Amino acid sequence: MSTIKVNNIQNANGTSAIAIDSSGVATFSKTLVPSSSMMYRNLIINGAMQVAQRATIVSGQGLGGYITVDRWSTSYVNPSAVWTHSQDTDVPSGQGFGYSFKMQCTTASAVGTNERLMVGQRFEGQMLQHLKKGTANAESLTLSFWVKSNKTGTYIANLYDTDNTRQISKAYTISSADTWEKKIITFAGDTTGTLDNDNNQSFILFFGLAVGTFETSGTLQTSWGSAVGTDRFVGQVNLGDAVNNYINITGIQLEVGDAATPFEHRPYDAELARCQRYYVIHNSNAVGDRLANGQGDSTSVVNFIVPVPTILRTYPVCGFNNLVCRNGVTNVTISSLGGINYSTTSNFVNVYFNTVSSVQGAGYMLRATDADGYIEFGAEL
Amino acid sequence: MYKLIKNTETNELGNVILRTTDNIYIPKHISNTDYQEYLEWVAEGNTPEPADE
Repeated sequence: MSTIKVNNIQNANGTSAIAIDSSGVATFSKTLVPSSSMMYRNLIINGAMQVAQRATIVSGQGLGGYITVDRWSTSYVNPSAVWTHSQDTDVPSGQGFGYSFKMQCTTASAVGTNERLMVGQRFEGQMLQHLKKGTANAESLTLSFWVKSNKTGTYIANLYDTDNTRQISKAYTISSADTWEKKIITFAGDTTGTLDNDNNQSFILFFGLAVGTFETSGTLQTSWGSAVGTDRFVGQVNLGDAVNNYINITGIQLEVGDAATPFEHRPYDAELARCQRYYVIHNSNAVGDRLANGQGDSTSVVNFIVPVPTILRTYPVCGFNNLVCRNGVTNVTISSLGGINYSTTSNFVNVYFNTVSSVQGAGYMLRATDADGYIEFGAEL
Repeated sequence: MYKLIKNTETNELGNVILRTTDNIYIPKHISNTDYQEYLEWVAEGNTPEPADE
């Protein structure tokens, strides 16, 4: 180890490049050129678990999907253990995080042969073209995150290329129980298999939690190659083998290059907007809240224009609860949703509700019948 | 698990399918991943509930 003490660095021609003042502040006199982009370098959306539009805690969950924190889905295959999912306030001290994602086991089970529980994030191909995957210039990726669990041992992170059915897995170790630890894993670039440049799924990052022998009986696939199921999660502990086993995770960053840079903390509104490309919910706060404007198409259909804050990834699914069509003082009951129209250049969704007795040409508001009224749109991968 | 839905104005099948397990309406659009799952479910030999008359 040695130290160079200077207050100015110049090029060979004597032009100043970096000035360092007495407090150690360095000022670059010209453009700073990093080896890779510093803007949006974290490919992960909601890596700090700030956004939880659906719910902050859901108990007794035995099915997969998007449950609490946005963009993070759980994938269950043949589940036997039962879990509580939550957006948790337990975070690593002094790192600037407000939330973590927690899964806690409420019903334990030995892991079945064909069972799998993973948490993951899915990526659109058009978001990943700068990885240059499938070319001689393919970029390596570095994954960094904070994790805490009562169950120590080996865990597996897996990158899965769904366009080309290829994968790479890396093991990491949770060394100390009930202690936040930072983990850094680098995945090599893959010179085989280009990613589609579109809005469909191309890539998935998975964290294994409990996996049966159908994906653990081989040899861990630590280099990119055609996906071999039995080589995917070799060595993964079963987090679901005891009640109250838990895992907290936050500060997840996946970035181009061989080194982990500090976590890219993004403002809440920016992170929320990125999440809303995949899921939007309009909640009521009280009975009578209006959520959208519409018009009676006929005596049996009311057509609403429901705004969305950003362009959705694709044609969305729609769910709703405790809503009626309101014309003046008259409520018209909604019997079902009869159709959805959406254009991926528009920031609204056209929703057709089948009704019992609407009036053609009349104006309607989409009205909540209580504080639990909502309409939601999902365009997840 | 799935149910077909009619547009009551036209009395024809609408462009959505109801997933009855969570009351989510799924658009018949190929880029929607829930619709892709529905198509796989049908390809496995399953049949959705008919629409209400």
